[in-house]
Amino acid sequence: MSLVDTRPEPEARRPRIPWLVAFLSRRAVWALITLAIYLAVVFVLIQVVVPFNYATPARMAGPEAYQAALEALGLDRPLLTRLWEYVAGLLTLDLGNSFTGQPVTTVIADTAPVTIFIFAVGALLAFVVGEAMGRFGAWHRHWASRSALSTVGVFFTTIFPPFLVFLIAFFLRDPFWELREAMGLPADSLAVWRDVAVGQNEILLLMSLALFGAVAAGVAVRIWAHRNRLRWVALSAIPVTVAAAGLGIWLSGYGVEAIDLLYRSDISQTVATGSPLLVLVGLVLISFGQVMFMMRVGIEDERNEDYVLTARAKGLTEAVVRDRHVARNALAPAIAGSFLALPTIIAGMVIIEFGLEVRGLSWAFFNAVETQDIPLVMGVLVMLGVMGVMLRVVADVVIAYLDPRQRKA
Amino acid sequence: MTVATSHRRRSRRVRLLSNPKLVAGLALVGFFGFVILAHPLFQATIWEGQFRVYDPFIGYDTQVVHPAGPSGEHWLGTDSLGRDVVSMFTYSARYSVVVALSAGVVIGLVSLLFGSIAGYKRGWVDSFVTHFSDAMVFLPALLAVYIIGVGQEPGEFGALAVGITFGILYGLGPATATVRAAALGVMAKPFIDAARLAGAGMGRTIVRHVLPHLVPHAAVQAMIGVAGAVWAEGFLAFRSGVGANIGFGYLVFEGLTWGELFAGVLDTPWWVMSTGAAGITLLAGAFYLVGVGLREIFDPHSLDPRETS
Repeated sequence: MSLVDTRPEPEARRPRIPWLVAFLSRRAVWALITLAIYLAVVFVLIQVVVPFNYATPARMAGPEAYQAALEALGLDRPLLTRLWEYVAGLLTLDLGNSFTGQPVTTVIADTAPVTIFIFAVGALLAFVVGEAMGRFGAWHRHWASRSALSTVGVFFTTIFPPFLVFLIAFFLRDPFWELREAMGLPADSLAVWRDVAVGQNEILLLMSLALFGAVAAGVAVRIWAHRNRLRWVALSAIPVTVAAAGLGIWLSGYGVEAIDLLYRSDISQTVATGSPLLVLVGLVLISFGQVMFMMRVGIEDERNEDYVLTARAKGLTEAVVRDRHVARNALAPAIAGSFLALPTIIAGMVIIEFGLEVRGLSWAFFNAVETQDIPLVMGVLVMLGVMGVMLRVVADVVIAYLDPRQRKA
Repeated sequence: MTVATSHRRRSRRVRLLSNPKLVAGLALVGFFGFVILAHPLFQATIWEGQFRVYDPFIGYDTQVVHPAGPSGEHWLGTDSLGRDVVSMFTYSARYSVVVALSAGVVIGLVSLLFGSIAGYKRGWVDSFVTHFSDAMVFLPALLAVYIIGVGQEPGEFGALAVGITFGILYGLGPATATVRAAALGVMAKPFIDAARLAGAGMGRTIVRHVLPHLVPHAAVQAMIGVAGAVWAEGFLAFRSGVGANIGFGYLVFEGLTWGELFAGVLDTPWWVMSTGAAGITLLAGAFYLVGVGLREIFDPHSLDPRETS
């Protein structure tokens, strides 16, 4: 500890809000342009590249029937007219009607919440797990722990998703349901939901808001505590707020329903649908490795810098040097790098969700592709793009917070 | 002079081989080379004259009940139709390797082309390429390949077509984004100014001075992308379940459906499914390891956003 505190006074620090507003407005422009290009690509892919359309089944009945089907569906009109309809539909949030007659927006609103919940929680967990393992793996140079981590990471990063589905169903499904029995919950979801007035998506929304509110509050408390040098408050902030959110859900009277939602994705179905929590496990397994490798390379890059030597010479413990000095610098590149792995991770998650029979967005998507339900396929792809762009903006804000040089970008 | 170059060359070689990921990946790639060669080799030697038993399509061993577990006759067992799994595995490896190689080459070419032009031209060309690749990152190539492939007749959308389609989609996305970022770094180097002052035009500058520095980055992206292409082909075969060409994904599909159909009656033929899954994971893992290893050697700073924007 130096005798003179050379850090600027708190009043002299730049206020936080202005950079965030300026940054967000620039990123909003970026997001709109990128989303527009993405939507154009989706249109070209579905309407031009894909060699089938929803009149294809009529082809069996002969060329006249096919032509009639094309006309009935409006597919004989020029591409520009269809493009205009697509753009107008997007602007009015009307994505047309699915093959089943329901509006695409309704189908998506029914199926998307569980997928978004799994993805949001899973991605957060995967990042936390991968970051911790990467930090550990880069710091401990013992070859056995390092190569064990590498092997596990590469195995799960490159595993064929249907096979992971099999492994999860084979090894985890039964213990998972036994746990439910042990908690004293009825095995039948109908018994849980019989007298409940609110829908499952409302409760999912409640769970998501509580969880992410808790994480955000925990991060805020942690930053505040670091600044005021309250070490134990900083360490326990996030676990305490998340636990409080869990307790809050339980006390709200929907605790049993919330747990039931982790077991079954569609309570209106009498058939046994898969468990969102198992999908979440799968998502974490396939994505933590990417973060781990990025983090490890980043730390190994940073650990020979001069400031690490300085920090050690000051007498800081290894844990402080690793977590507060090196890991913080390696974190922003790790977030940016993990983003490029997003297509692979989304593809893997979609397959796992479908394989475990969770009635989410992927279930809608695969059914739509296999029945050639083009409006629904496009709707799901549009939804994916919107989610991806939003996620990217959030990640950019985190990067800019960690690395002030990025705030001008 | 010669001493110096040979020394440099040797140190580069030592550095390449000191990366365990790269070595493990290359060993696995070599293993698949052996697997491809194994099929004709086995047919000429130990399966000689037993065409009816060991054919990957119509083989059937009348001596055992199918699906049969691993044994001395059938090292990895047989599938529900009585075909030898070793024969199917070694035969189908060629398709997966064709997918992997074609996807890898296309990813490399596409990302080099767009990345180097964007990095050289800057201005609106660069901004368009950047936005375009950012947008393509949100479109999982596997899903797009699946959408394109699932409506087609079996055999129409073969291994080569899957690989090239995947390569274009992935190459325009993450690969171009990375290579373009690397191109910006190269363009800031003094030797580019020197080349321009010496009168080199755009084509000459890119080909002679920029591209050589970008090839390692493109190779890394190609290798990592290939893992996804192997998945995509496997998944297409897995979902459509058409045995037009028996790939690794088909083996997983067959094992799983057989297990589901006869759950509780017969044991799941884990040997069929695990062989296919191991094939995909090992092949994807091989290229992924080579890619990650190359990245760690050639460009330890690639992850740094400070140098990319």
